[in-house]
Amino acid sequence: MTGRTRSGWLPAAVFLACLSAALLAAACGRRGSDTIVVGSKNFTEQIVLAELFAQQVEAHSALHVERRVNLGGTMICQQALVAGKIDLYPEYTGTALTAVLNDPPQNDPSAVYQRVQQEYRARFGVEVLPPLGFNNTFALVVRGDDAEKLHLHNISDIASVAPKWRAGFGYEFMERPDGYRGWVAAYGLRFASEPKILDLGLLYRALADRQVDIVAGNSTDGVIAALGMVVLQDDRHYFPPYEAVPLVRRATLDRHPEVRMALDPLAGKISEEEMRRMNYAVDGEHRDPADVVREFRTAKHF
Amino acid sequence: MNWFEFLLRNRGEVLARSVEHIGLVAASMGIALLIGLPLGIALVRRDRAQRWVLSAANIVQTIPSLALFGFLIPVPWIGGVGASTAIVALALYALLPILRNTCTGIAGVDPAVIEAARGMGMTQRQLLWQVQLPLAAPVLLAGIRVATVISIGVATIAAAIGAGGLGVFIFRGVAMVNNQVILAGAIPAALLAVVVDLSLGAFQRSLAQK
Repeated sequence: MTGRTRSGWLPAAVFLACLSAALLAAACGRRGSDTIVVGSKNFTEQIVLAELFAQQVEAHSALHVERRVNLGGTMICQQALVAGKIDLYPEYTGTALTAVLNDPPQNDPSAVYQRVQQEYRARFGVEVLPPLGFNNTFALVVRGDDAEKLHLHNISDIASVAPKWRAGFGYEFMERPDGYRGWVAAYGLRFASEPKILDLGLLYRALADRQVDIVAGNSTDGVIAALGMVVLQDDRHYFPPYEAVPLVRRATLDRHPEVRMALDPLAGKISEEEMRRMNYAVDGEHRDPADVVREFRTAKHF
Repeated sequence: MNWFEFLLRNRGEVLARSVEHIGLVAASMGIALLIGLPLGIALVRRDRAQRWVLSAANIVQTIPSLALFGFLIPVPWIGGVGASTAIVALALYALLPILRNTCTGIAGVDPAVIEAARGMGMTQRQLLWQVQLPLAAPVLLAGIRVATVISIGVATIAAAIGAGGLGVFIFRGVAMVNNQVILAGAIPAALLAVVVDLSLGAFQRSLAQK
């Protein structure tokens, strides 16, 4: 009986051993000392930013860049970064603060940035490079013609018209601690009726079709620009900052200082409007992120 | 805290959402029956028209519900944001099984029986009401049963367009990354589907035995 078992078992074991050796060799071979790996989470903006980082590094160094985009969420990117499976990825300061460091939300962008920078350096050996310039947070969006007619710039401008308005919000905005309840309190708002609660994807359509008069989306949603809508400024700084920043492993920067040199020019250079346009080019016009980023880099002389 | 405790603690809202859910399904099934049954009967023996209508119903079935809601938002009267849009979409989805089973059910009545009824001097209308419909009833009911169970499941998507129902818990739970909240919507909806399926099944059997 033992003979029979072994004869079935041995070839399989040899095969597995060969396979894993081959995979290991392939993995090690690919990941030479002059290769860096750029990661991203699994949505358009992240993929665009990762491509931007990758093209910057390729343009300003002799390093080989491997793209490992579409990783399933913050936790996976964070673990991959700490474990050295990726060298850098784009993150948002508010997400790093609340989801990774488990801190309560804070409203001062520079305080959040400093806290995240210190903790990441001390705990994970990760450098938080300067913010790219845009904030991806909840955005209160109105139709362009309303904004023009009623001279709406800031959220506080809508206090007088809100009692005649119908609002449409997503489930996340209604439930999150930094969402609806605190928002109406911070701005002292009252609407004509209870907000309509819709799927995020349908919100903009309902707004465009005048079924609702104000919606809460994300500040870098591409359709905002495409449909001629206007984002109201959060003039009372209610929403916590979610500034986009590159996170890079300390060890990678020590070994390849040129990575920092390649990413430095991006600091403060991407506006919400520009990010929205790139997101829309990929989502709305189905263009290749690499082409979109290449055009953006040419236009901005990076 | 497990989902059951969560369910008990929020039983007021779960109950209210269940009532909304049943309301959505009942309204949409009512509309689908009012359109589907007469249309199905009218299509018997009109092969070409039947093929066209069934293909159209098939196509409607393949439209993702969010896209369908999107199309319906700008439509006056029946569209917009809220229950009416959801009911129209659910009714459209329920149409195919009702239409198909009405056509097959009536077409499947034994021609000898129809011949006999004609021989007894029945008019077309008497034939329909006294022979074809009663004999086709179990098949018709099977279609209604399938449509209702599907509707109970699909009605959870009504929460995407602000129409309420048990889907509210599912969407809220997904947004909050909280499984208890998701289950507070998913489990009552599943139970509802099972109960309705069993009772319609029992009714169907009692008809078949007659």
